[in-house]
Amino acid sequence: MSMEERYQRHFQLKEVGKKGQQKLSKAKVLVVGAGGLGCPALQYLTAAGIGTLGIMDPDVVSLSNLQRQILYNENDLGKNKAKCAEKYLNALNNEIHFQSFPFALTHENALNYLSQFDIIVDGTDNFYSRYLISDACLLLQKVMVYGAVFKYEGQVSVFHYQNGPSYRCLFPSPPELGEIPSCSEIGVLGIVPGIIGMYQALEVLKIVLELGEVFNGKLYCINLLNHQTRILDFKKNKEEIAKIKKQDRVFPIANKDCSLDFEVSLAQLSSEEKIIWIDVREEGEVPRLSHLKPLTSALALDSIKDSEEKVIAFCQTGQRSKAFIQKLKKEGIKNCFSLKEGAEQLQIWEKKQISK
Amino acid sequence: MEIKVRYFGQLAEFTGKSEEIMTQDFKTLEGLKLFLFDRYPKLKEVHFKMAQDNSIESESSELKGTLIDLLPPFSGG
Repeated sequence: MSMEERYQRHFQLKEVGKKGQQKLSKAKVLVVGAGGLGCPALQYLTAAGIGTLGIMDPDVVSLSNLQRQILYNENDLGKNKAKCAEKYLNALNNEIHFQSFPFALTHENALNYLSQFDIIVDGTDNFYSRYLISDACLLLQKVMVYGAVFKYEGQVSVFHYQNGPSYRCLFPSPPELGEIPSCSEIGVLGIVPGIIGMYQALEVLKIVLELGEVFNGKLYCINLLNHQTRILDFKKNKEEIAKIKKQDRVFPIANKDCSLDFEVSLAQLSSEEKIIWIDVREEGEVPRLSHLKPLTSALALDSIKDSEEKVIAFCQTGQRSKAFIQKLKKEGIKNCFSLKEGAEQLQIWEKKQISK
Repeated sequence: MEIKVRYFGQLAEFTGKSEEIMTQDFKTLEGLKLFLFDRYPKLKEVHFKMAQDNSIESESSELKGTLIDLLPPFSGG
């Protein structure tokens, strides 16, 4: 397909032109969270010709997502968002190098994945991820394009741009658990994250193209009910930045508002992955899953301590395995997860994998 | 001096209004905050930042502006 034709409208802009298009094609952007914010951001970044586009999301598409997560349709229900998004975006522009990551960003893997990109778009919906992205980007000196919504209002900002301030300069410490309700608790008009996500994509393009003014040290606040907008200045908080730099690694915030770093669902797993399974149920509980050769919860911790392979515990409903994994985490075992689903769903999943 | 105080996000729900005019004098942003805590005790339940005349400042800052914004963090996406 002709690049001339695809990006003709960009070439016509003297501020963009072929040079600008080249900059876009060399850019590496990771969108964390392919939901209400991530979907429109991904669409415009793909259309604009961002060279390498990463898509990270552990979740599967559910019916309540379709009200605002405009990349997906009813045929995608139950499928992983990152993988679905890649399929649709590839059809929109197959010149782009897509990388989909069907798992969560955690304090254990953040530095590894974020280091592969230049700009990180925060399309997440919880404070655990937002502080994690900010701290990791600060350590790696990556630009973070922030967007967040509350009902009919949105916030946009750009952090760590040209040595500018960080999310921690704006909000040094995370709120207490339950202090700020999430969209799943209070609802959101679907188009609100849509508009904020597009703002995030716009900032990415301006950063790459070195165009105009970005929200560096500025918090853009918009109320979409009354069209009031504010641009508020904020300064770098050297103390907060020094604190993160000194710890030189990322830690989960104390008031974790999600369980992304220790829960995993079947849709996030691929059959090619080597997984060490742990069955935390009693002996008499069925179905037994002997094909997976699971270890029992009485296993020796040493045997999995330095395992390169993913360790996943399961039970009947995902409750006991969660408690078990929390215990393992306390023992310092990394790369271990609790399966959200129960043994019955795992059996169905396993049979499907074999027949593939 | 007359100041206009604006409430963002959840704070508007806690105060029942998106903005209001105040005529009392406050030395610092914190002084205003404590006054608002008294008037709207629910505000104590959340962290928020304060801006005056479109600049986010620490609470110990002298209150000189006429436009005060109260901003909670958002997490939705």
